Amino acid sequence: MGLLTLLRALKQNDQEYRVLMLGLDNSGKTTALKQLAGEDVAHITPTQGFNIKSVQTEGFKLNVWDIGGQKSIRPYWKNYYDATDGLIYMIDSADRNRAEETAEELAILLDEEKLDGVTVLLFANKQDLITAMPPEELMSALKLTSQRGRKIIMQPCSAKTGDGLQEGLKQLLDVINAAKASGK
Amino acid sequence: MEHPHAAKILAGFKLNWMNMSDAHTGEVLWTDDAWENLTAEREAHIPARILKCRAVSREVNFSSRELLESLKLVQRVLLDGKCMEEWFFDFGFVIPNSTNTWQQTIEAAPSSQMLPASVLNGNVVIETSFFDRDLLVCKAKTRIWYDE
Repeated sequence: MGLLTLLRALKQNDQEYRVLMLGLDNSGKTTALKQLAGEDVAHITPTQGFNIKSVQTEGFKLNVWDIGGQKSIRPYWKNYYDATDGLIYMIDSADRNRAEETAEELAILLDEEKLDGVTVLLFANKQDLITAMPPEELMSALKLTSQRGRKIIMQPCSAKTGDGLQEGLKQLLDVINAAKASGK
Repeated sequence: MEHPHAAKILAGFKLNWMNMSDAHTGEVLWTDDAWENLTAEREAHIPARILKCRAVSREVNFSSRELLESLKLVQRVLLDGKCMEEWFFDFGFVIPNSTNTWQQTIEAAPSSQMLPASVLNGNVVIETSFFDRDLLVCKAKTRIWYDE
C-alpha cells in the first residue's frame, strides 16, 4: 500500500503528521487520496464533508484530511487548520476558466495565520488531459508573490493514473520530517 | 436518562457503512451498510484470510445533520469482553449536513503473535463509540466471525 510504504520510508518514531488537502470542487482530492491508498477510483462522488486516511506503522502516524471543495463547504475549511504540518493544494490544471478562482482560494490560504510557515504542495492535477496547463503556466496563473520562509513544492500529477502522486507526497513529508527533526 | 443534546445529535446521526479491507491490495473483505438500529449488536462474517493480511484497513462512513464542535471516535477490539486494542481519533469539527469517511490502516502483529481463527471466532467484538466532547452520541457493536 502506497501510504504505508511512504510512511515506513521516513523511519521516524512517535511522530504524528497531519496533512490537510484542499482545493476547488472537482479538482481531484478524493481521487488522489484513494489512488495513493491503492483503491479503486472509478466511482467517486463530490465530498460533502471530509475523508480521512490514518496510516500507522511502528508508532508513527500519518493523517491525511481531504475536505470537500464545493463553495458551500469552503467557509468551513478554517475549522481544520489547527496543528497542520503540511498543506496539499489540488488544482485542476485543465480548468482554465477557474484558474482565477483557484488562485484566489490559494491566496486566502497562504494569508491564513494558522497556516503560517506550513509547507505547501501544489498538485498540478489532470496532466493526463491534453488541455492541461503545464506547471510553469499554472505557476504564473497562480500569481504567487514572495512567500516569506514558506516552502512551496509544485508537482505535476494525474490523480486518475496515479502519476506524480507518490513523488509529491514524499517531497512534502521529507520537508515536514526535516523541519520536525530540527525542532522547528 | 438520555441527554437532550445527545438525543438531538443522535437523531441526525447516521452510520452509513463500515468495511474492512486488505490494505495491500485494496480488496474489500467485509462491508456492512444497513445500520438502522445503532444500539443492537450486529454480526459480521469475515473471510478468515483477513488474519493473514499484513495490513488491514477499517473504514467508517457517517452523516451528521447537526454541527458538531468536537467529535471523537473510540474503537475498541474486545476478546471475551477484554480490551485487546483501543484506537482513538479526534475529528474535531463536523460540518452540518455532512457525510464523512474515516479510514484507519494498521499493520498487523507478526504472525507468531496472531491468535488463530478458532480462538477468535465469535469471541471478538468491535465496539465503535462516537463522542461530541465527553457526550456519548452512539456506540455500535459488531461481533466478528471468521469464515474459512
